Formats: sequence, structure tokens, C-alpha cells
Amino acid sequence: MSMVKLVNVRKSFGDLEVLKGVNLEVQQGEVVCIIGASGSGKSTMLRCLNQLERISDGEIYIEDVLTDKRANDKDLMKIDPVTVQSLCTELGMVFQNFNLFPHLTVIDNVTIAPLIVKKTDKKIAETRALDLLSMVGLSEKKDEYPSRLSGGQQQRVAIARALAMDPKIMMFDEPTSALDPELVGEVLATMRQLAEKGMTMLIVTHEIGFAREVADRVIFMDGGVICEEGTPEEVLLNPKEERTKSFLNKIL
Amino acid sequence: MLTEIQLWAIFNGTIVTLEIAIVAIVFGAIFGVVVALGRLSKSKVANALSWFYIWFFRGTPLLLQLFIIYYAIPIIYLDATGITFEINPMICAFVAFSLNATAYLAEIIRAAIESIDGGQMEASKALGMSYRQAMTKIIIPQTYKRLVAPLGNELIMLLKDTSLVSTIALFDLLRTTKTMASATGSWIYYIYAAAIYLFLTTIIQVVFDKMEKKLGIYER
Repeated sequence: MSMVKLVNVRKSFGDLEVLKGVNLEVQQGEVVCIIGASGSGKSTMLRCLNQLERISDGEIYIEDVLTDKRANDKDLMKIDPVTVQSLCTELGMVFQNFNLFPHLTVIDNVTIAPLIVKKTDKKIAETRALDLLSMVGLSEKKDEYPSRLSGGQQQRVAIARALAMDPKIMMFDEPTSALDPELVGEVLATMRQLAEKGMTMLIVTHEIGFAREVADRVIFMDGGVICEEGTPEEVLLNPKEERTKSFLNKIL
Repeated sequence: MLTEIQLWAIFNGTIVTLEIAIVAIVFGAIFGVVVALGRLSKSKVANALSWFYIWFFRGTPLLLQLFIIYYAIPIIYLDATGITFEINPMICAFVAFSLNATAYLAEIIRAAIESIDGGQMEASKALGMSYRQAMTKIIIPQTYKRLVAPLGNELIMLLKDTSLVSTIALFDLLRTTKTMASATGSWIYYIYAAAIYLFLTTIIQVVFDKMEKKLGIYER
């Protein structure tokens, strides 16, 4: 089953065209790692999927349902906002800077969206939150405020917070880029655990080793288009495109 | 020393001063949120209305606003309808001070909301929250701590500015003591007034400092 699909997606910020016609389809259970230099449009692509950014042209499908169809920054069809919102919550997102809610304790960070968006019963939401926190190894920190946690711990809470909405797809936007090197491992371990459970994942990352090990498919983006894609072996070990080769040479 | 009558007069004057300042800060904070959200709104109408409101009430003297409400409105009303009406100066003071405080607090609140990292709104949206839910549950609660200090500042200003109401037939703390000073030819009453103002502003300062510490509990 196709979980997300982008058809000819373009995105411009003023005169700057960041996505120049991206086509991508992700199947259920697939782990897709997206690599590429900064400014290549990787993050923008993720942000367009859950409509943190609106696309300029193209179509976006979530679970085969059209959620956005635009041309020249104008809507081409009226799409029911309630449907869009509920489909967008099927996409969990983890940010580079965690973006935990600093005024809420760890457990409240995890329960707030189920409580106010899904109107989940408080007891049920808390039980679920504790399960998720123990999955990411942080149940003993449940009453701490985020400022008391290390970066790695904060990012793991952010993963639990996204999972609390029971998303069908998890998107990670450079989840380890803001972390001290010694904290990267714990976050990657949590992500690996999710991948093993069969979660569909879209991961923008610079961790080539992780991508090689976990990804079903690797996508190399350059200049707003998908330049090369394939299995990790194909793209990371035997890249065909010159641009892929030179990028990999620079970062390895 | 003060006679019992003078003591009561000063006490009542202090109450007038306090009442106006407290009413103004409470209504100013409530309506200030509304005007601030208007300024941040994508709606052009809401934006223009809020901008105009702040432009007018921050750009003209409070004393002028007080005069408009107390003196001009009854005359306009009389010209329009031919009916005279008695206007309660205390109500006028409440209205003028609240309207004025709203304008200042709206800007303070807007700045506080804008100071919250944009990632907070993005994370809220990514979790499926509406703009309203994100504002009320995530963004605005984070502004409380940042609002305490400017709010205390505003309350202290209001408390001192209440002395303007002596121009609309109200006996606040300053006018009460000034009347006594004129009647007796003694300067000591000004000292009493200063002592009471300082006493009140000290309380405000201490209480707001405590509040700021308490609200910042989640920061390291």
C-alpha cells in the first residue's frame, strides 16, 4: 500500500525554487533515508507532506487520498480541511531541534496532543505515554521538565510524543544533527527499534552508516530534485551519478 | 498628627487609586490578549483594527482620553439627543484607564508571543493541533513568565497615573493629600502620600518578583 506519494511537486519561496519537480512514493513498512547537501530540498519535502509548508505545484497523496493539489501557489481543488488534518496526523514528525514544549513535563509533552486533538481519556493517554516512554528508555524521567534532559533524551521524548498520536508514518528531519556526538547513538538506537517494528519511516539524515544499515531505500537529493535512488548498496556503495559520488566523497 | 477624618479620607483616596489601577490591569490584560491576537492575525481587518486601536490609545495622552470620556461624550450625547445624562466619574476612570492599558499591554503581549520559538507552533501543528489549540495550550502559557515583569511595570505606572483622575472630580490619594496640604499649609501630607505610594509599589514589586520565579520553574 502506498503511504505517501508526491507527484511533480514544486515549491518556491519567493524567487527561490527549492523543489523542482519531485516524484516519490513510499510503501507501507518501508524505511527511506534521504541524503543530500543542505539546501537540496530534503527538509522542505518532508515539511510539504504534513503541510507545514504548502507546495507551489503538484499533488500530494497520503494513503492514496489526495491531500494537496496546487498550481502556481493556488489550490486546484477544494479539499476538506478536516480530512487533511486527520491525514496529516498520520504523519508523525521529529525535528532537528526537538521542539519539546518547555512548560510541560515529559509525560505531559507526550499526552497533550492525544488529550486535546483526539480527546483521548486521560488515564488511557497516560498509560500509553508511559509505555512509549519506557520504549524510549525514559520512564523514570516522566516528571522532569525538558530543560533538565540531555539533547539525546529530549529527542527520544520527541519521538515518544510523535508516536503518541499513533502515526502510520514517522518523518525525521535531521534528528541527530543538533546532538553532541556521544548522544547520537541512543537516538539512532530508538529509531532502529522503530524500523524493526515495521514502522514506515522517512528519514533526512547525514548518518550514512545508519542509512546503510537501516534503510530499504536511499534517496540522494540535489538542487531540488531526486538525483539518484536505490538500495543502500546501490546509492551509497556504487553510486552511478557524479553528483552522488562527489557528495559522498565530501562527507565520508 | 492626622485626625480620624483625615485618616479616613486618605484611606478612601488610596482605595480609589488602587481600584482604578487594578481594574485597568485586569481588563487591560484580558482585552490586551484579544488586541494582540488581532495584530498577529492573518485577517487584514482584524490586523487593521488592532493597529488603529493601539495607534490611537498609545498616541494620545491618557488625560485627553479621560476628558473625551468624561466631558466630551455627554456633550455629544446631548447634542445628538437633547437629553442630558449624569456620568459617573469612577466608571469613566475605569473605562479610560482600561482602554489605555489595553493598548500598552497588547503590544507587550504581542512581543511576548512573537518571542516564542517558531518551532513550537510547527511542532503543535505537526501533532494535529489547530491554531487555537496551539495558541491556548502551547504558545500563550509560555509567555506568562515573560509577561510578569512588564505587567508589574505597567501596574506601577497605572498606580501613579491614577493621580490624573483628580481632573474629573475624583478624590484619589494624591488629590486628597494635596487638599489637606493646601488647607493646613503643611507639607507633611505630601510625605504621607509618598509613603503610601512607595508602600504599594513595593508590594507590587515583591509579589511580581515572586510570581516570576514561580512561573519560571520549568527553566533550568
